[in-house]
Amino acid sequence: MIRDQLPTSQVRYVGREVTRIEDPGLVAGSTQFIDNLALPGMLHCAILRSPHPHARIIRVNANPALALDGVVAVLTPEDVRRLANPALTAPAGWGTHCLATDKVRFVGEPVAAVAATSRHIAEDALELIEVEYEPLPPVATAAEALADGAPLLFEQHGSNVIQARVYDWGEVDRVFAEADQVVRSSFRWNRVGANPTETFGCICQWDLADNSLSCYGSYQVPSFWGLARSISLNLPANKVRVISQPMGGAFGGKGGARATDIAALLSRKAGGRPVKYIEDRMEYLLAGFGQSWDRHYEAALALTADGTMTGLRVKLIDDQGATAEGYGTISVAKPLAAFTGNYRIEAARYDTTLVVTNRAPTAPYRGYGPPPHFLVLESLVDLAARQLGVDPAELRRRNYIGKEQFPYTIPSGNEYDSGDYAAVLDKALALAEYPALRRRQAEARTAGRLVGISVVSTVEPGVFDWNAYATVGVQGVGVPEGVRVVVDILGNVTVVVGFNLQGQGQYTIAAQVVADFFGLELGAVRVTTAPTDLAPPHFGQGGSRLGVAVSSAVLGACRKLEADFRRVTAHLLGVPLDEIELMDGRFRMKSRPDAGMSLAEVAGLMLGRSDLLPPGMEPNPQASCVWTAPGRNAPDDQGRCRSYLTAANATHVVMVEIDRDTGHTEILKYVVVDDCGTRLNPAMVDGQIQGAIAQGVGAALYEEYVYDGQANPLVTTFVDYLMPTIHEVPRTERDFVVTPSPTTAFGAKGCGEGALHTTPAAVICAVNDALAPLGVALTETPASPQRVWRLLRQAGLG
Amino acid sequence: MKPAPFDYHAPRTLEAAIALLARFELEGVEARVLAGGQSLMPMLAMRVARPQVLVDLGKVEGLDYIRADGDALLIGAMTTKTAAAESALVAAQQPLFHAATRLVGHRQIRNRGSVGGSFAHADPASEYPAVALVQDLQFRARGPSGERWIPAAQFFVSYMTTRLDPAEILAEVRLPPLPPGTGWAIQEFARRSGDLALAGIAATLRRERGQCTDVRICAFGVNATAVRLPAAEQALLGRPADGEHFSRAAAIAGESLEEPMSCIHASADYRRQLVRVLTGRCLEEAATRAA
Repeated sequence: MIRDQLPTSQVRYVGREVTRIEDPGLVAGSTQFIDNLALPGMLHCAILRSPHPHARIIRVNANPALALDGVVAVLTPEDVRRLANPALTAPAGWGTHCLATDKVRFVGEPVAAVAATSRHIAEDALELIEVEYEPLPPVATAAEALADGAPLLFEQHGSNVIQARVYDWGEVDRVFAEADQVVRSSFRWNRVGANPTETFGCICQWDLADNSLSCYGSYQVPSFWGLARSISLNLPANKVRVISQPMGGAFGGKGGARATDIAALLSRKAGGRPVKYIEDRMEYLLAGFGQSWDRHYEAALALTADGTMTGLRVKLIDDQGATAEGYGTISVAKPLAAFTGNYRIEAARYDTTLVVTNRAPTAPYRGYGPPPHFLVLESLVDLAARQLGVDPAELRRRNYIGKEQFPYTIPSGNEYDSGDYAAVLDKALALAEYPALRRRQAEARTAGRLVGISVVSTVEPGVFDWNAYATVGVQGVGVPEGVRVVVDILGNVTVVVGFNLQGQGQYTIAAQVVADFFGLELGAVRVTTAPTDLAPPHFGQGGSRLGVAVSSAVLGACRKLEADFRRVTAHLLGVPLDEIELMDGRFRMKSRPDAGMSLAEVAGLMLGRSDLLPPGMEPNPQASCVWTAPGRNAPDDQGRCRSYLTAANATHVVMVEIDRDTGHTEILKYVVVDDCGTRLNPAMVDGQIQGAIAQGVGAALYEEYVYDGQANPLVTTFVDYLMPTIHEVPRTERDFVVTPSPTTAFGAKGCGEGALHTTPAAVICAVNDALAPLGVALTETPASPQRVWRLLRQAGLG
Repeated sequence: MKPAPFDYHAPRTLEAAIALLARFELEGVEARVLAGGQSLMPMLAMRVARPQVLVDLGKVEGLDYIRADGDALLIGAMTTKTAAAESALVAAQQPLFHAATRLVGHRQIRNRGSVGGSFAHADPASEYPAVALVQDLQFRARGPSGERWIPAAQFFVSYMTTRLDPAEILAEVRLPPLPPGTGWAIQEFARRSGDLALAGIAATLRRERGQCTDVRICAFGVNATAVRLPAAEQALLGRPADGEHFSRAAAIAGESLEEPMSCIHASADYRRQLVRVLTGRCLEEAATRAA
């Protein structure tokens, strides 16, 4: 598949474990992150944040702060009411200004801001700003949000419900009525979220003469955020320039909408001086876009007596937090792309209620919704296996979509491109030595130990499309991702993209394709990002999409260049166009392969000898290609459409032991087998898997944003929010299967989020397998020692 | 997350440091001693501590040493925990203190954090105060009117509060030897490796003719200071060093504990359970080391 696409006799880079071109700068420390950057005359911003979950703002007096030596500008609710607009949201109407104007809706919501000559002074100045609040009754939980007479966060809506919607796919009531077995359970998925090493940061400069704005910063999806700023700041979109810096990770929500608006308006008030804002970790944990998936589930799975899964019902109440500004709503819609997982389930219902509460707004997080959904589905499958007395691996195998059934349309409408789930399972069971593992478990149980095993399979929807999110109010079909491939007069090649480094390695992917296409050394290809005003249409990292999108776009641009360069060569050699081919970096005659020209010779000719070019040909050795996934369509009234282009899959086998006295869970064995089609760079796929497992272990065992009964956050530092460290993340045993995607150029499938879909379910299912003999089950994440100990005590242990 | 303004002093001698503290006390200026900064610096950055002055001991000469004093060990207050963890003398003569040191934070923290700083900071979740109480450490305090020795039993007053006067500096820690044949253990329960303990136990005991003598059990991470658990100790004295009696002592340890503190990771009743479990495990471990 790779060979077919590349004019080379020997593929040297695509599909190989090549060293990433991004890494020397990261290792040597020369990569310039936003906090390394300083502009002349730059000021520093600090933000005053609400200490109340819900309160009316009576009065803000920032004048005392202005009097402090070193303070240049302050920003107040009155300023933003005059100069800015509320954030756009989907569904519409659940956003606010960058500073709270009438009332605050969560602890940490910005209320005022200062620009000063140092961050220290700016923070000193915050202490001088007087804010008078009138506390309002808070809405602390989703249940409170839905209660009769609940306090309202957005009075104009008359309700705290952003959206209530039931999706019906197939004859759900009938299959449940006819089922021989129905297993049901409720689940509570507590808030977790992205915590990149680098928090958000930006430098904004408002050009008062031109009335234009430049924003340097850690912008995950530059043009998206730029467009949003033009709306919130009343600027034409072509007057907002976003310059994305390399990022120390992102994982979903990085882009600092409020902070960018605040820094921009401070720059405007400070006479156009640049204003830097670096979010600190406490701000990130309180109000950064790092909280996601605050969910209450009730779900049921219908089966026939022989263990055939027939129906799935999922009722979800999703606490979106105080506003919809972070696009957390999408995480409720995305499960449509893989609602029934790896299984042939004929009918399904998804009953969703999205509410606002006085918790922090939720945001995208790697996986963007399906990980909790798969915890629910896979837990139900395990419950069914237990009730039917069937091995959980076997029950899954019986219900897998068969490899001959692809392309396969699931009830919720998406079409899976390809897969061989049984092959993945077989490999995982073999690698885990599954029968021996079960014997070890039996022995341990006899000795009184609480040992559990899980075998969990999930699908990773890859290469997102906006159509997947239409049901929550996001418009459009297609996600254009553009590149420009430029050859200079000496034959050096540069790829211009619209996004910046974030850790995954897409620059290397781009270079791999170019190097193999034109027969260059990998290191000779330069990949660079352009600011939004110069970049081709782009989105950037998100939805397990960029590897496929960039490799496809680069390939498209290379083919356009190939066509032009062949034309030049044919003209010069005086032979028909058909007679010229590109092979191993030379444009040569098919009949006389020794006669031809190098890339540099053709480019040099184009730019330096216009007299020799074919008549009418532009001297333009560069080509753009903007790629979007083919075959996407608009959704029907039940949200059904071909949304995500690829469907990767994985099976994890996990063994855990629970300490009977403390409730502590230890991972004893972790096996991963995945299939994301062609691995464009196997080492990078490995990195994605291992990293997502770390986050999955975090969600399953450690991480939780805790709020008290008044919606006050109890998690404000890393002493409270526990990300697993190198000591807690298991060493995994890994293998893979390759079922190339028939829908992408190289057969690759999106693989950036994969293991986070599987790991939480795999770990929790293993915990419940360990607890099963005691007759108790954990239905809430994470499996913290204290939570598990309570169950043990309930079972008479501990 | 930037500190409020403060003045900074980095004296070269202990005398100069004490003189500064005495002057600030006289002038009513709030001064804090900086001794590595692994706890104080984050508190400053979060503005939960707002001293007007910091007196940094980092440049004071002569506070960084580990030396034998007969059977005892003397450790200078500014000795880093890494130095203590890597000291052959500490490993050979003070195995409990050595084991406790290795439980403190992560390597980066041990590289910067001082031994004296930990004792003077008196974090209730810290391992060191528990070792001090179990082993009767002594603290040499230097102040404007000279020096005094404060025994561990008097040193820790309450949450992050010691017997040191505002102008006094902890200069040295004296670790008496464990009596021959003493078995020891320290175990803690934290959510992650290197985290502050949700609960921990340090224990020592000896065995004479199969029976427990000189039992010392100290819990940390549960109350405002590390606490000895006399009821559990008493329950073992003169009793056989076996699982049954260890379990009984562990149960008493849990029950006799003053109401433990509570946080999102561990409620009071869970901490009580952890104290019970860790006491049992520490006694078993200590017994294997007791001659």
